[in-house]
Amino acid sequence: MANTFGNSYGLTTLCPLINGVHDEQSSYDKITRRRIQRLEEDAGSPFARIPNTYFARLFILNDVFFQQGNDVARDHLKSKYLVFTSNFHGELEPYLTGMWNNAEADIRSLWQYAVAFDKVQNADDFVAYIKKCQLTTTLFFNGSNDVALKEQLKALYVKQAFSEFALAHQGQDATALRTAFNNFMAEIKLDDLNQPSWTPGQTRLQNMY
Amino acid sequence: MSNVAGKAYGMNVLTPLRWWTALWQKLIFWVVVKTFPYFLKGLLTLSLIHYARWTIINRWSFPRLDKSQPKEKLSYSYMLFESNFNGSWDQYIDSFSFAIPSGLDMFWRWNIKYPKSIPLHDFYNYIRFNQIESGHYYNAYPLAAANDVKTAQKLFTNLGTFQQNIANLNDEEFLQAYQQFLADNQHSLGSMGESPLMSASHELVQEHQHANIMMARAAGKQEA
Repeated sequence: MANTFGNSYGLTTLCPLINGVHDEQSSYDKITRRRIQRLEEDAGSPFARIPNTYFARLFILNDVFFQQGNDVARDHLKSKYLVFTSNFHGELEPYLTGMWNNAEADIRSLWQYAVAFDKVQNADDFVAYIKKCQLTTTLFFNGSNDVALKEQLKALYVKQAFSEFALAHQGQDATALRTAFNNFMAEIKLDDLNQPSWTPGQTRLQNMY
Repeated sequence: MSNVAGKAYGMNVLTPLRWWTALWQKLIFWVVVKTFPYFLKGLLTLSLIHYARWTIINRWSFPRLDKSQPKEKLSYSYMLFESNFNGSWDQYIDSFSFAIPSGLDMFWRWNIKYPKSIPLHDFYNYIRFNQIESGHYYNAYPLAAANDVKTAQKLFTNLGTFQQNIANLNDEEFLQAYQQFLADNQHSLGSMGESPLMSASHELVQEHQHANIMMARAAGKQEA
């Protein structure tokens, strides 16, 4: 009903995992969970390399929850699911293609034991595969922005830099302030979204003043 | 597990509902979307939310990709709620419950054993019981809160306009315009940075993650 909200897209997928055990040691879901937990975080995350990803997450859905009581049926899933969800800017196909092109090794590792993933050989296959796992979002709420990630990161860089500038140049006379302001604007390059800017997943600030 | 990425917390809640009430619930969500922003006005006041979504999974619509995969036979349909917000779990649940109790009841009213959003204690227990921890959670701007993202965009646009408008001013006129600009944009100013640790358990999670990553690096590859 509502995978999109403006230019932002809410992708929800459940990818079934193969039931069974690898080399009589670990079940496929446990192997997959271990691989998820060993992913690097923040700027090291594979999602930091995938263009226009605002937020993303991975987890294993082992089973559904029994709500307790004699008046409640007890459901159990017959498969475990790799749940992958993402909030990103733009259209689905280009996003998934970018995902494959920038994080193919991680994708192959994480989805290795997903049902029918052995047929995925290229970006087009991956797009088709994820679409089969996709669930339509019923209600999607965007409380943030829906501009391209580069623009968001640049705006955040400018906000931080200008806040520091305003603090550092309080009480200056008009001529000195104007000179400093012109230098500042030349340094932050408003028209260049690439640099200087924040990088995806960045966790440290580099103060200007 | 990793429910925290910088200033954001990622929540996943999966709750059952009868298959026919799931259809009603979808209709309600459809009405909410069509009448936006009236019904979502409450959500907008919760400016700590980056993105949130509700996905109703009919009991017959769990993805089945191959004949070798056993077919699910479920009594209930399920609703998956996901949110990306700033602050701690407790702050979020409190805010939700106090700001939009009737909205919460509208969204979850037909979910099995939903206790209603007030009193808070039962609602706490319900969410906690049905929550699934994330294995990996990524946030593109961990240093920023949702309000930072929104105000940064405003400031970015306004600063560009300001730069154009001051081109022909003398220095004194520039000073006045600059001071006015600061006053007009004061809500968009403020330094960002790392958030403090939200809980002792989060600190523990970070230690475990660090150990996991070290193991993966030592192995040289992410193999089991």
